Amino acid sequence: MEKITYTFPATKNIDHRAHVGVVGSGDLEVMMEPSDGSQTEVTIRTGITGFKNTWEAVIQRFFSQHDVAAKVRINDFGATPGVVAIRLAQALEVSTLDSNGKC
Amino acid sequence: MIQTGNASFVECNGRERAIRLLDNGTYKELLGPFDGLESPHLEPQGIVPQSDDGVIVVKGTMDGHRAVVISIEGNFQGGGIGEVSGAKIAGTLEMVLKECESGKKTIPILLFDTGGVRLQEANYGLLSIAEIGAAIVALRRHVPVIAVIPGKIGAFGGMSITAGLCSAIIMTKEGRIGLNGPEVIEQEAGIREFDSKDRPLIWGTIGGEQRTAAGFSDLLIEDDTGAVKTAILSIIKGDVIFETKTEQVQRYEAFLNMADPSRRISPEDVRDLWNQSGKKAFENCSASQNAKFKGRGQTWFDLLRNDAEELGDIPSVRVADAFIGEKKVRYIAVVPDAQNRFPRARNGEVGVLEGWSIAKHVRKAIEEDRNGKKRAIVAIVDVPSQAYGYHEELLGIHQACAAAVDAYASARLAGHSVISFIPGNAISGAFLSHGMQANRLIALRDPEVNVHVMSKQSAARITQRSLEELEAAAKKVPSMAYDIESFEQLGALHSLVDGVDASNPGQKDCNVIYKEIEKAIEDVAMSGSTDLKNRLTSSFAKLGGRTASILVREKLNEQWN
Repeated sequence: MEKITYTFPATKNIDHRAHVGVVGSGDLEVMMEPSDGSQTEVTIRTGITGFKNTWEAVIQRFFSQHDVAAKVRINDFGATPGVVAIRLAQALEVSTLDSNGKC
Repeated sequence: MIQTGNASFVECNGRERAIRLLDNGTYKELLGPFDGLESPHLEPQGIVPQSDDGVIVVKGTMDGHRAVVISIEGNFQGGGIGEVSGAKIAGTLEMVLKECESGKKTIPILLFDTGGVRLQEANYGLLSIAEIGAAIVALRRHVPVIAVIPGKIGAFGGMSITAGLCSAIIMTKEGRIGLNGPEVIEQEAGIREFDSKDRPLIWGTIGGEQRTAAGFSDLLIEDDTGAVKTAILSIIKGDVIFETKTEQVQRYEAFLNMADPSRRISPEDVRDLWNQSGKKAFENCSASQNAKFKGRGQTWFDLLRNDAEELGDIPSVRVADAFIGEKKVRYIAVVPDAQNRFPRARNGEVGVLEGWSIAKHVRKAIEEDRNGKKRAIVAIVDVPSQAYGYHEELLGIHQACAAAVDAYASARLAGHSVISFIPGNAISGAFLSHGMQANRLIALRDPEVNVHVMSKQSAARITQRSLEELEAAAKKVPSMAYDIESFEQLGALHSLVDGVDASNPGQKDCNVIYKEIEKAIEDVAMSGSTDLKNRLTSSFAKLGGRTASILVREKLNEQWN
């Protein structure tokens, strides 16, 4: 298992916390919570070791496209970069829904 | 949650399933992803945990009826039950029981999607499943406990026993229920016994359609969220009432007595047998002469009962009533029987006949003592495993185990002191069925006294690790170890007895055990409690053996209202 963390400067807050995905084969779990700071903090735990560069590319790209200040936790069970990007986008979408956003 | 047009229930993840069953806007998730209660045992083994540990607990109403849905996420670690996930289920059911006891009727609904015990946490799963079973049996006296097995995984291992304890089981064609999964049977008994790649064979044996036609499931429904709701509501409202399976000892015994396992029985045969069993009068088959293997169970049974008359009706389940001082005690032991009709149960395993026979003799004691002094019931535990085989699954070994679990739990709830005495192996489904529902557990300190959930070979295969990796992990995580000293650390033992010869006991050893049993019976009487809570309040449990199990229950209690 590998633990990776990133921080990025950010300006816009998100409305609600969001939880999407499952720690199951080829998938991952993303938890996104509002943070009052001016940065985004991403913590990744993955069972597939040795792909730090790929993670960096995916996470960098996502947070350069979306300026959000959030605390993001990722529990990964072998998701491909595409799945990671889609789950992040889904979490962001859920975080802007105004009701029942808790699932 | 964004609703899509798809009404499939099977395709939903665990959380979606739970939420979709409850009335809109009424639900509240307990111990959700942001409450920080993940498994503490996975990360040290290099496995990524999930924020809810794979169990989703949602409280709300269903068509106005108060309900709690417990949904297992099958995609996370195969829906395996670990310490946290197990405590979430058991703790929730215990809370529902409290509500029901205070007159606030709440319906528990369990959505199964689980391979059983999470092998990486092993004995924690075993302990949790015993506590879940205890809560279900207690709850059934107040409300129907509803099980839904939608698929894709189904309900396996100890959790198939849990499902077998419920008031009603609802399945889709995709759902499966069986004690031993196909891979495990193949590993333990060989590919000729069961080919785990043969999908028609699997669904023909343990799939929802077969199970419903053969007396092991109550309602077969389409894979549709609306259909799941309708089925659950029909049970809540009492439109349909099913007889509790675990209490129908006569019918299942008649069913098994008609089955002839000397030839390969087909799934269609089983459906016929089930239908006939409803009509035929029950004929007791006489006990065949037992070739006396001397296992520890047998040895201790003979020693403890002294000369008391045997009451058992099959050679593999020995029963006798005797006295320790003034106290009447019913001893029950599962022992090897070289002529067992079911070849896979000849070495002392708990099989279909054994499960139902235990249930019968425990229930008889409850019945006979209904208006009088309750005798103690002592399970002598030396069981190598449950029986692994095609016929066992086909004929519902999980239900036989559930019947035994239910009987012991019912005896406990009726006020009998139920004591387990463990001089040998206490393994997996066999231990769950015969021993784990006891008020108090007594074990001998001996290298051949082992407690675990699966043989190392099978556990390695299922968790996709080598034997070496498995053994290395067991050294780090006490719940994965097989020895009785590691099990003691988890806090469930009432006593671990030193200085007794486990294999060749003499009268002196016997007297020590009489004393231990007497002390345990007195301890039960003193505590005045009929549940299993003492396993969480023991010093070992508090000192770290059950930290997460205790924490989960405290948090549930905080969040409940």
